[in-house]
Amino acid sequence: MIKLIGLVPLFPLIGFLINGFIGKKLSKGVSGAIGSFSILASFVVSLLIFIELNGSAQKSHVVDLFSWISSGNLQVPFSFLVDPLSALFLLIITGIGFLIHVYSVGYMHEDEGFSRFFTYLNLFVFFMLLLVLGNNYLIMFVGWEGVGLCSYLLIGFWFKNTAYNNAAKKAFVINRIGDLGFLLGIILIFFTFNTISYGEVFKLANTGIAAQGTITAIALLLFIGAMGKSAQIPLYTWLPDAMAGPTPVSALIHAATMVTAGIYMIVRSNIFYSMSDVASETVAVVGAATALFAATIGMVQTDIKKVLAYSTVSQLGLMFLALGAGAYSSAVFHVATHAFFKALLFLGAGSVIHAMGGEQDIRKMGALKKALPVTFFTMAIGTIAISGIPPFSGFFSKDEILAHVYEENKLLWFIGSVTSMLTAFYMFRMFYLTFFGKFRGTHEQEHHLHESPKSMTVPLIVLAILAALGGVMGLPEFWGTHNWIADYLSPLIYRKNPSILSHETEWVLMGLAVAAAAVSIYTAYNVYRKNNILPAAKEEDMGGAERFVYHKYKVDEFYEAVITKPLNLISEAFYKFFDLKIVDGIVNGTGQAVNWFSELIRKLQTGNIGFYILAMVAGIVAILFTSLF
Amino acid sequence: MKGLFIVSGLGILAMLAEIFKFKKLVYPLVLIGLIAAYAVNFTEWNFDWSQGNPYPLFANMIRFDNPALAFSGVILAVAFFWFIFANDYFKNETNITDHFALVLFTLTGALMLTAYQNMVTLFLGIEIMSIPLYVLAASRKNDMSSNEAGFKYLIMGSFATGFLLFGIALVYGATGTFDISLISAKIAAAHGALPIFCYAGILLMLVAMCFKVSAAPFHFWAPDVYQGSPTVITAFMSTIVKTAAFAAFMRLFLFGFGPAHDKWATGLSVIIALSLVISNITAAAQTSVKRMLAYSSISHAAFMLMAILANNGDMSVPPILYYTFAYSIGSITAFAILYAISKSEGHDGFDAFNGLGKRNPLIAACMVIAMLSLAGIPITAGFFAKYYIFTTLMATTYKWLLILAVLTSAVGVYYYFKVIIAMYFKSSAKSEAVAFDSTTTALVVITSLLTLAIGFVPNFIIDMLR
Repeated sequence: MIKLIGLVPLFPLIGFLINGFIGKKLSKGVSGAIGSFSILASFVVSLLIFIELNGSAQKSHVVDLFSWISSGNLQVPFSFLVDPLSALFLLIITGIGFLIHVYSVGYMHEDEGFSRFFTYLNLFVFFMLLLVLGNNYLIMFVGWEGVGLCSYLLIGFWFKNTAYNNAAKKAFVINRIGDLGFLLGIILIFFTFNTISYGEVFKLANTGIAAQGTITAIALLLFIGAMGKSAQIPLYTWLPDAMAGPTPVSALIHAATMVTAGIYMIVRSNIFYSMSDVASETVAVVGAATALFAATIGMVQTDIKKVLAYSTVSQLGLMFLALGAGAYSSAVFHVATHAFFKALLFLGAGSVIHAMGGEQDIRKMGALKKALPVTFFTMAIGTIAISGIPPFSGFFSKDEILAHVYEENKLLWFIGSVTSMLTAFYMFRMFYLTFFGKFRGTHEQEHHLHESPKSMTVPLIVLAILAALGGVMGLPEFWGTHNWIADYLSPLIYRKNPSILSHETEWVLMGLAVAAAAVSIYTAYNVYRKNNILPAAKEEDMGGAERFVYHKYKVDEFYEAVITKPLNLISEAFYKFFDLKIVDGIVNGTGQAVNWFSELIRKLQTGNIGFYILAMVAGIVAILFTSLF
Repeated sequence: MKGLFIVSGLGILAMLAEIFKFKKLVYPLVLIGLIAAYAVNFTEWNFDWSQGNPYPLFANMIRFDNPALAFSGVILAVAFFWFIFANDYFKNETNITDHFALVLFTLTGALMLTAYQNMVTLFLGIEIMSIPLYVLAASRKNDMSSNEAGFKYLIMGSFATGFLLFGIALVYGATGTFDISLISAKIAAAHGALPIFCYAGILLMLVAMCFKVSAAPFHFWAPDVYQGSPTVITAFMSTIVKTAAFAAFMRLFLFGFGPAHDKWATGLSVIIALSLVISNITAAAQTSVKRMLAYSSISHAAFMLMAILANNGDMSVPPILYYTFAYSIGSITAFAILYAISKSEGHDGFDAFNGLGKRNPLIAACMVIAMLSLAGIPITAGFFAKYYIFTTLMATTYKWLLILAVLTSAVGVYYYFKVIIAMYFKSSAKSEAVAFDSTTTALVVITSLLTLAIGFVPNFIIDMLR
């Protein structure tokens, strides 16, 4: 079965081609079915491969498809790597991908771009699969760019809205900055090790032939790539804006899969980070800072999707904090549980938006519990899971991360813990404002309220079950239970540091975390449920500090003033002087010279045979004369 | 070898068709025959020549080794596409069976040129290929320019043949053999001490071969002949005939006169430089797409000559093989589209393509692929074709030629893009689609996809001969 790994990306590609070329002629039912079932087929194959891999003793299989690029000493075969990490990501991508495709059939039903939506979505899954399956950095890069493209297309899916287009452009441009870092990293890897295939690179790196500085440089360059794709400070600003895309896109691309590509990449390249303390510390600090920073912004947002977006940035920060602390398997564990509950929350939010006729402001919702029972119940599970309440999935992954961070650095642990408290608070704030209290929308909206169709609620229920029970993947060792995911991933972690915490400490940390979450939830309950306090309805009513945070610390404005404006000024100057005068001058001058010259040579083509033969003879004489004498 | 038998048999069959009245069957038979020839051609792949020659009757004068088979494969594949493209030519003109026979004998000569081992078979191959071509160029009997093309081609061609024969005689006189491997060994053993008329002979043959591949300053016939001949014949000349001529050129100079490299390299480098400059600059000033393609074929010839100039033995062969194939399928696409357009618009100027992007989006897309490939823009086959030539030449002392080649291909981008600009940015008075029959549409779609496909996996062809 592992030999058939090529089928996994093939199915979405076929779905993409069918929907892309003849999608417009198909009915919505057929188009949606092609889109969804191609992913289901991939999921089935992935599942079989996952089972086979678990049963076999060999944990890493390279499947060569064809020789792709060969130039000088750069040999890039197009080959796939099936190992525990890629197999797990395959399941997440195709499994959650399938649920979200099904959900989209209901969610996008009224949209005229229905088949186009599934075209992009299938293409996205194809590239995402390439990204995790490739056996070298170049294939990962192809997938990396491909998902970036699809993300751009899907954020700007409703392209008639200029603001949405700008959001798409912003995502694309900011990702480019990260991609440049990634590309430089790949070039440096090739330059250092003369290969870009994972196995060979890691083996060579492990022998220590590269200088410490080079390893650090590679790790940092790759991390810049990760910062872009996984929305870390300073490149995170695109992700909240990316919520312009349809909600299933936010769930699939901007929560569950694409944005975790950076984590995948660093786990894949874990050896560089294990070898470089500087790089690891950078990752940890950036992750912690992003986690805390985004969480504070999430506290005051009033758009339901924006709350979730900042929560995603914050959770991603937490994952990077884990990576920086060397807890690679914990980060992957959190990727998985986060994929479950965040996809669930986004889809639930989509269901709410659907019922509210497109309204996204939580100040105008309230009391939706009755009208949307399934959405309410499943979102409750998602909210509890992300807040870290046992025995829901988020509790286990978050606790494992915090325990590892505590070993490494107490301050970062404290930041992580505060972030978790804030998370519990703003998630329950959103939850209470949406589902409890009084309905605050228009009369018309209230009349229109309805539970979503089956195609939307069934994925919600499945995801809710996963979000509730997903923690069994990694039960803590100190409970005497088996941490499956840590064992599962251990073959590809090059340098492990064993846990040094005593069981008592771990119990205390866990107790603290649960207590902190409980306090947060109680506070949120007090404010938003019991006393029914609403966020300020207008900006003018906010306090100065609150307004500053509400405006996301004015980071966008800061970038605008410090980077965009000066760049525009410089490019304007260059355009007027360098481009118009010098470059155009040279180009036009050359063009004129060529034209003049060609008019001259053209005259040689007289049509007269006698002249042609004369020219030939002259040529022969010249060649004989110069070559022989 | 078996492919050669099949193709010459088909030629005889086509002549019999006139007598025994089965004209209608000839076209399908030729297509089937070409597929068969293509298939049997590769059954001889990797033959172990140390076991002796399987065709002793030919006294080792023809030898279908792997390079020969690879080039035969290109010729047969392109010929198959060409016959599909030219179906209309064989329907509407008179004396069709004659035309079939002439084309098939040209093909016979072309296949011989990929595999000759002896200067006699080289000469035979060139003449078998050329003589029917003179007739084909003039095959539109009532058209003055077609007659002029045939006549010019004949006179100039005979002139070049004279040099070839003279060269062969001189080389034979100095080395005492016609066999190119033996000549190679003799030249190597002599360490430059052969009589001077031997090198003069080599240079005369160089000139004659440069005439055949239309390199400057021996190119003057090409624009006139390409322009005057019927478009399908022009396509035939600039793809199949050119591939065969290059296979012959390469075999002679890499495997025969390779050891005398220092004597012919300087001359060839000047020829290449002249060809690059003259072809590209003149092509930029053309108003007829057909004539532009004629000039650009001179530029492509110059590129392929660079791989011969590098004189890298076996390593020079794969780049030329790839280039001939990439260039041929790109040209077939371009000529097939040009043919239909000029029939419908009544002329073959750039403005005949105006608004094609709106009128026939699919065809226009195929034309874009063909133009990008001919211009050497990445992801198409044409890019890798140039790329492999460049890497071959990079290892030599002729880096100045590379710079010239890059600069002149920038000019090339200009005139190829003129077609694209006409198709997408200029509007036409007509808005209805140009009529393309389904065969032509299928052909250009397939050749365009092939152009992209071998651009995506270039090693598929490059690794054949490694």
